[in-house]
Amino acid sequence: MFDLEYVKTIGGGRKIRPYDMAFAADGSIYVLNHATGFGAGRFTVCNLDEDIIAELPDDAGDGAFAQAVSLAFDSEERMFVLDEAKSRVTILDRQARFLDRWGEPGSAPGQLDRPSALRFDRNGDCYVSDQMNHRVQKFTPDGRFLLQWGEYGSGPGQFDMPWGLNLDSRGDVYVADWRNDRVQKFTPDGQFIASFGEPGRGDGQFDRPSCVVVDDGGYIYVGDWGNERVQVLDPDGGFITILRGQATLSLWASRFIDSNPDEKRTREASNLYPSLPPELESPFHASSQTEPYFFGITSLHLDDQGRLYVVESRRQRFQVYQTG
Amino acid sequence: MSEDIALMAHLMRRAGFGASRAELERHAARGYEATVEWLLRPGDPGDFAEDIAKRRAVGFDEGGAAFELWMVRMIHTNNPLEEKMALFLHSLFPVQYMSQGRALLNQLDNFRRHAFGSFRDLLLALSRDPAMLLFLNNNDNHRDAMNENYGRELVELFSMGVGNYTESDVKQCARAFTGWTLGNADYMAVRAGKNSFDPYGSIAWHFEYRPDDHDDGSKGFLGESGPFDGEDICGIIARQPAAARFICARLFLFFASDDIDDEGRKAIDDMVETYYESGYELRAVLRALFNSAYFKSDAARFARVKAPVELVIGAVRMTGASPTPGAGSAGANGASAAMGQALFRPPSVEGWHEGKEWIESGALVQRVNYVAALFRDADKPGVRDIIDRIARSNGGVYSPEQAIALCLDLIGPVTASQETRDQLLEFAARQGSVDLRDPDADDARTRIAQILALITAAPEYQFA
Amino acid sequence: MPPTNGTNGSHPDRKLVVVQQSGGNDYLNSVVPYTNGHYYDFRAHTHHDPEDVLKIDDTLAFGPTMGPMKELWDEGKVAVIHGIGYPQPNRSHFRSMDIWHTAEPVEISQEGWLGRVVRELDPKGENVLSAVNFGVGLPRALGCDGVPVASVGDLATYGLFPDLQDEWLRKYALEAFAKMYGAAAGKEAVMGFLGQTGADALKGADILRTAPERYSSTIEYAGNGIAKSLRDAAQVMFADFGARIFYTQHGGYDTHAGLKTAHPQLWSELAPAVSDFMDDLEEHGHADDTAILIFSEFGRRVRDNGNGADHGSGGVAFLVGNKVRGGMYGEYPSLAEKDHLDGDLHFNNDFRGAYSAIAEKWLGLDPAPIVKGHFEAFDLFE
Repeated sequence: MFDLEYVKTIGGGRKIRPYDMAFAADGSIYVLNHATGFGAGRFTVCNLDEDIIAELPDDAGDGAFAQAVSLAFDSEERMFVLDEAKSRVTILDRQARFLDRWGEPGSAPGQLDRPSALRFDRNGDCYVSDQMNHRVQKFTPDGRFLLQWGEYGSGPGQFDMPWGLNLDSRGDVYVADWRNDRVQKFTPDGQFIASFGEPGRGDGQFDRPSCVVVDDGGYIYVGDWGNERVQVLDPDGGFITILRGQATLSLWASRFIDSNPDEKRTREASNLYPSLPPELESPFHASSQTEPYFFGITSLHLDDQGRLYVVESRRQRFQVYQTG
Repeated sequence: MSEDIALMAHLMRRAGFGASRAELERHAARGYEATVEWLLRPGDPGDFAEDIAKRRAVGFDEGGAAFELWMVRMIHTNNPLEEKMALFLHSLFPVQYMSQGRALLNQLDNFRRHAFGSFRDLLLALSRDPAMLLFLNNNDNHRDAMNENYGRELVELFSMGVGNYTESDVKQCARAFTGWTLGNADYMAVRAGKNSFDPYGSIAWHFEYRPDDHDDGSKGFLGESGPFDGEDICGIIARQPAAARFICARLFLFFASDDIDDEGRKAIDDMVETYYESGYELRAVLRALFNSAYFKSDAARFARVKAPVELVIGAVRMTGASPTPGAGSAGANGASAAMGQALFRPPSVEGWHEGKEWIESGALVQRVNYVAALFRDADKPGVRDIIDRIARSNGGVYSPEQAIALCLDLIGPVTASQETRDQLLEFAARQGSVDLRDPDADDARTRIAQILALITAAPEYQFA
Repeated sequence: MPPTNGTNGSHPDRKLVVVQQSGGNDYLNSVVPYTNGHYYDFRAHTHHDPEDVLKIDDTLAFGPTMGPMKELWDEGKVAVIHGIGYPQPNRSHFRSMDIWHTAEPVEISQEGWLGRVVRELDPKGENVLSAVNFGVGLPRALGCDGVPVASVGDLATYGLFPDLQDEWLRKYALEAFAKMYGAAAGKEAVMGFLGQTGADALKGADILRTAPERYSSTIEYAGNGIAKSLRDAAQVMFADFGARIFYTQHGGYDTHAGLKTAHPQLWSELAPAVSDFMDDLEEHGHADDTAILIFSEFGRRVRDNGNGADHGSGGVAFLVGNKVRGGMYGEYPSLAEKDHLDGDLHFNNDFRGAYSAIAEKWLGLDPAPIVKGHFEAFDLFE
């Protein structure tokens, strides 16, 4: 039986501005922040107990990152950071010290145009979602082009600004086909297998999906960005359930509230799940008015204990759920 | 230059943010009145720009950057009059940014929804707008402790004007709006006052009516009496001749002319008549205005000083300076602010002083510098289009006179004085004739762009 | 070459700096009647506690965040003008500010009192920099047909066509600009006004651009808007362009709410900015010939509405400078309810008297054409 249980919320209190994250081999959580400042570095290293282990600097080798959107560790525990604005991959060590970079803007094979996600396969090669070229490309860790597929369009195997991508345990590739409102599944070399979803707000429908992750049982978790929710599909793409979000105060958030009695007092007298007038019933409005709901999901992750992490770019936090 | 194109350019400068020659030709082919109808019935504005902006600039719409998102919308919308009306209503019902960008964007949606409907419904929507309620402290307007700020501004600045109500009307009006507040008002007010984004980012606002805090006693308002609530008040106001004249005159001043002369007064009389005939419908009033002989007359052309937002959006749209929206929108908002119009930061609840008051030396420097720099770039898609059009006519070779005439035509058409044309000519003639026959004639193309830039610096270009 | 000074007025070196507190500065919490029981009654939720205020005599104190103003007061450089306002007060921001700007409480006027001052100082409009506004948008106080005013949003990037790298091209473009706007200046109505503005802008721009590079100071201003505006004003003043009138605004005083939070915050920006500006003047030898007027369009209601106070009438203005005769001018209006004017402090001191004193005693001008009449003026200057 499929089961999901809320565990906790991590974030708030101006500690992180997460867009993506990655797990180090020792279990620590590397958070990629979309904005730095107020004490947060480009990367915040923390753990599930909400200890902050380190703030790491914002160094792309030639200055700060312009628009860092995706983070993944390779097999040697080097950080690969995708800069969407600069269309390139920067490689850092675990202390976020610059090691190397590759990639350049363009549309020829191997070139990138506003790439939006990077994930490794088991062999140590990586797939990159090449957003404005409407394709997926595969590279070796040192940036050698291996293969590509896709073009602009709405047919099978075509894309309209793909965003997130991920791999299942067999190495098949799932792509959040953003402006086609669907998730597509491919073999490791890019053969089309299946397409899940269609535009809409109903079960199994998507509005601008941003990200996807697949567990060992083949269950597919989709960050349904425009609908501000996570959908769970079975391995064949059948609809299972929806998560709307139920954030509670994290340790950091609690500290903020406790030290600001005026907000604490008035917050306690507030209804954080307000009923809204009809013009504000869309998922976006509901999430903008309802603090516990997911808002701006940009990436999904599973750790080795089967915990699902939902990264909410608009709420400065991530929510953790136990799957199984 | 054909009269159809010139008239269409006039309409699009006023009811929109100007238009490229290709757009003008499309509209002219459809006809004037059909184009007015198209403007009055907005379709899908297109969500591409906003999707991209939200995705690439996270939280763009939450804090004080909300107005950037509105700029993106104005630059990319398919419904120019809808955005122009949102801008009009923001100028008429101005609120200041108070730590909640999303609430301001929701307010604009509110305006768009009611921009072409009844004035009564618009006033009612305004009275239920959480940003307005908080801005004018109606969250502090309680049954037992009145705060008359919103009640006063509603009759003074938003619907009728001084001289059409008494101090007692103000108080009774405020009583009718007791209990009209926003959800979790105390918490939201504390957060707004401290500019708090903690713990988890901003929480947008929504309207809430609290019957337990509403004074439902009898009230005498503008000669009528009863246990009025805010909805009744909006209905009573909308019937007043002062309100009809107020909204029609404000629309006239925004869309037709900075000044009201005798002919203008007649046009407003017609609008007022339409206001009553249509049941206070703003679409009908606007239709009457745009189709009026006054609006189409030569006297009305270039009779308004372009507001900074109009100038900036017009230039960005025409040059294609922001083909795909990113975190910025060609610096549009900052530029407009430097020219004296920062969206959601009006100088007071009265809004901006328009017309001649846009003109002062510092603002003029900003206006000229910003627009000229956009048009000076021959690689901007819109500038490239203008140059390509020029290259396609006259065999591609031009005397300075011909080049100036074509540039003035295609950038507007702009009607320039003899003195301005002389100066443009002198500027152009320093470099001799222009030969655009070679598609790689970069130097010639750059020179055309320099002429276009100088036209945007001319006095005539400051008028719409 | 910098333009020459205007010649009218008997004190050609004297300057006036105006700081407008936009939104209606609260009188009671700025100059606090801390021994008056009515204060605590009417301001049940929003009074400052007696131990927090900065006492200036046995009955009055500055608000808790006005420390630098208090220091200037102690040095005898601050005149507090009590109960300032005008007959039949108007509680609309817009209208009341217009009244202060035009010195016309009854008729609607477009002509600013400082515009008239500039016209008197420089009748031929020879110096385009006689009056300089710092900030965005020109206040009506400076508006006057035929009177040039420079308005500087950001001093560091002031000038025309800064992006034109080619020196010759820029020269030609500037020439064309000058001639186009010069021709327009001869026309009627708005086009004429625009033409004149363009011509003035061109004249002023290249001069003003040199101000920052000429400036050097040990004073470190804060980073907020009003501090930056006053720093810009100092830069222009010290560059000796002959500027006489400096105008700037500090917004946010419309404290229907937040009288205990936002209002002290505003003074915590303004008071140090004024004090730093004074120090800068001192360092550059301009302190003896500069006066600073701080005013707002109205004070606020006596009784608070919970956490704020609504629009009122009688208010307070401040005049600051080495040559200002420090002290209290006029009476603090009675707080007793029977003395209120529709719930407001009753003004007892026409603002045109203060304008008259500035025009006559400070700038050496006949005040009558500037304030349109004769008003009793305090002896505000040494």
